[in-house]
Amino acid sequence: MITLLKNGRLYDPAHHKDGVPQDIYIRNGRIIDKPDATEKISHVYDLAGKVVMAGAIDMHSHIGGGKVNIARMLLPEFRTYTEPEAHICTPHCKHHATPTTTETGFRYIEMGYTAAFEPAMLPINARQTHLEMGDTPLIDKGCYAMLGNDDYFLRLLHQKADQKTINDYVAWTLHATQAIGIKVVNPGGISAFKFNQRKLDLDENNAHYQVSARDILKALSRAVHELGIAKPLHVHCNNLGTAGNFETTLNTMGASDGLPMHLTHIQFHSYGTEGDKKFSSAAAQIAEALNKHKHITADVGQILFGQTVTASGDTMQQYLNSKLAHPKKSVLMDIECEAGCGVVPFKYKDQNYVNALQWAIGLEIFLSVEDPWRIFLTTDHPNGAPFVSYPHLIRLLMDKTFRNEMFDKLNLDAQAMSNLKSLEREYTLYEIATMTRAAAAKLIGLNDRGHLGVGAAADITVYTDQPDREAMFSNPDFVFKDGELVVKDGKVIKVTWGATHTAKPAFDRSVERSLRDYFDKYQTIQLDNLKISDDEIADNGNGRIINQTID
Amino acid sequence: MSITIKTLSATCPACGLLCDDIRIEGATAHNACAKGITFFSQTFANLQPQIAGKPETQEEAIHRAAEILKKSQRPVLAGLSTDIHGMRALTPLANKLKADLQHMNHASLQRNMQAMQSAGWFITTLSEVKNRADVIVCIGTDVVSHNPRFFERFVWVKDAMFTDPNTRKIVYLGGEKPDTTHGRKGAWILPFKAADLPDTLAALNALLLNKPLKADSIAGIAMADLQKLAETLKQAKYAVLAWAAKDLDFPHASLAVQQITSIVGTLNQTTRAAGLPLGGSDGDYSINNVHAWQTGKVLPDLQDAKPDAQIWVNSYNADAPPSFCHTPTIVLGNANTSWSSHADVFIPVATPGLDCSGTMMRVDSSISLPLKQVRESGLPTLADVVRKLEALLP
Repeated sequence: MITLLKNGRLYDPAHHKDGVPQDIYIRNGRIIDKPDATEKISHVYDLAGKVVMAGAIDMHSHIGGGKVNIARMLLPEFRTYTEPEAHICTPHCKHHATPTTTETGFRYIEMGYTAAFEPAMLPINARQTHLEMGDTPLIDKGCYAMLGNDDYFLRLLHQKADQKTINDYVAWTLHATQAIGIKVVNPGGISAFKFNQRKLDLDENNAHYQVSARDILKALSRAVHELGIAKPLHVHCNNLGTAGNFETTLNTMGASDGLPMHLTHIQFHSYGTEGDKKFSSAAAQIAEALNKHKHITADVGQILFGQTVTASGDTMQQYLNSKLAHPKKSVLMDIECEAGCGVVPFKYKDQNYVNALQWAIGLEIFLSVEDPWRIFLTTDHPNGAPFVSYPHLIRLLMDKTFRNEMFDKLNLDAQAMSNLKSLEREYTLYEIATMTRAAAAKLIGLNDRGHLGVGAAADITVYTDQPDREAMFSNPDFVFKDGELVVKDGKVIKVTWGATHTAKPAFDRSVERSLRDYFDKYQTIQLDNLKISDDEIADNGNGRIINQTID
Repeated sequence: MSITIKTLSATCPACGLLCDDIRIEGATAHNACAKGITFFSQTFANLQPQIAGKPETQEEAIHRAAEILKKSQRPVLAGLSTDIHGMRALTPLANKLKADLQHMNHASLQRNMQAMQSAGWFITTLSEVKNRADVIVCIGTDVVSHNPRFFERFVWVKDAMFTDPNTRKIVYLGGEKPDTTHGRKGAWILPFKAADLPDTLAALNALLLNKPLKADSIAGIAMADLQKLAETLKQAKYAVLAWAAKDLDFPHASLAVQQITSIVGTLNQTTRAAGLPLGGSDGDYSINNVHAWQTGKVLPDLQDAKPDAQIWVNSYNADAPPSFCHTPTIVLGNANTSWSSHADVFIPVATPGLDCSGTMMRVDSSISLPLKQVRESGLPTLADVVRKLEALLP
């Protein structure tokens, strides 16, 4: 059974192919070399003139786990229609902020995305996260486990444990929770808030443990690096959303002593204090620093206007943001001596000065960071906007006229504070393919995804080249998942189930001894029950694990 | 009952605390409370399905169930006393039948969900309680009637990271004859009817906000005592306000939950505090969570439903009567269902955590744990039966 996709124009940055006409052969879900003339080709798709890319990969999207489900529970009004039968779905519908697991899989694959990564899985909540992902069809998935506010780790740092002990604990966590990366949220801050500390900067100490955010970043970035997993430490910086926080962000770039770090939803961390309203864009400084520091990558966390809900592990900052909740309610939680969460509904308005400027700041960063291999397209779904708005965001990046028309509608004071219109850049298809495919796969360490080379999984998206990039990226002609045609003309025609990508570096298992003592003494479950077995993920026959660690 | 393995560790789903330190040795469940012992030692009265009280083959029983459902215009899937996997198996059936859903704890679940959906809340989980709480207020509940090992496992512990467990202050605020012995000698008991909680909690919040109140007492509690409670809470480093929605069984009880949320909000302006909404189990939080991720919404509360057929799922609850009377009833559930002969169709199924493995969410809604099979009963799983039933439906 060989499928041939012929005459398509390939945008495959991993192989430096920028619109090169080339045929693709698929067998058993993989891209293969051109077979012998004797071999039978069972399906042929003529893609003359079509744009062919690997399936897109969302490297940061809250698609599973406790806080997403809390958002669903908190906001029945997002899913209540006065006339359900007459409901015409648009990307602006509120229900996209709290999609069901089925909708998550469907909407992603219908946009040509074949994988999405949950960036904030609490180890203690890993089982629920994987259960939700197990009910998410079509796409591949994976998780970054949250560390750095858990009392076990903070005790290790406080006791000045050696790096090896920390490395083993980090590796143990990756294995136990079936994660592919490690995230830290407001390093030390979530814990500090439980001790009634209301603010934590990079060089400020968590008062109880007497360790700073910098200490935490240093230890964790080194652990991730020394374990040899691909995904750099995923960092949600201190002081999210606070005017003037760009300095914290700039300083954070230096906290890992040159080791790789990824700064996530950096838009929310790029605010200055200039102007009458003491809130300004620091996108230029942030972009300049990103251009300079090659060990740092970032995703943007673009906001788009409309109703959404913010779901974050950052209890400290979400407690402050809860005053701005719309509708006026929020759920905050301290969780299991590990972390916390804050779920705050939010409405971004283009006539609101701060929101309008947030929109501009995100785009300024996109357009000012030079290397598309180090900046990633995200809305921090659903925090900046639901992921269904990606085609709109892609158009904003690729179409200067459209972007400037949108800009002209913003709050006038915000317009006066942004240099967006002076940025002439328009992203190319090759750059879009880089940031949403090749670079994302490289960053996370998905060896067989994000490219169209021989041996790659046949996750392939085919678009019609249209001047309206929003229309183009909303509606792929075909999406193949592991070689199977699952989307035609932007609609799912077959439901399949994707894999869970993990990283399992080698480590010294004796780390479990002291961890077990800690659990027996202070936690409220047995250590062994935290671990997610392979069988649990394969449970209903729909799931499977891909270990991306190369031994 | 035949135990096939000599000793094994197990997780107890009986009350929702999910104690996972249980050791099953022969017929003995070590570390288990009375509820756990009852759970692990239950025998099975019925292994064979029944149609109108008469033993039948599984195939016949499923056929009869399908016939009932084919005739139904407005079926309901009720009870829903099962685990996460049970619920995942029921969803396709519910979709096929366009059936409404209702959990047997719908009333208490609704009290919490209504309060949360109207004002949100700030809550905590059991490990935080264990390591941090210096003041625990049990509001309208003694907790132990529902969760017998609460104090043993999370309060009077040997080691806690951030507080001295022995100096914790326990307060019982209202409730119907709470068993206050577990709060130990120093516990502070402020007795009044649960129905007076909304007023009392509103007064407490006013005092916390330094708003003067004219009354000398509220619900029989002297204002001076409430003032003292307000001071205790303000002085606490981490106060936990616990309630069990099942015990708030009076009209407009969600107002009491909202008042607790307000008090926590007031306290968090200056110190740290959190609520602890304890679930009623029978898998209620598990089912609600699965339903939320599969449909985007919490379980509904069918106040005026008039179904013409019901599937009653009662894996953990042999005695709870079905929600809807005078309706053709198909029972998929506990082998000891006491009224099984009254059902139109009764198919005993495996209980997760006893007859088969499973997964359940704890009473604090943030932890899910695996449940193990601890005996060989030969009962089919709920998923097995549901799949066969579904296959017979158009």
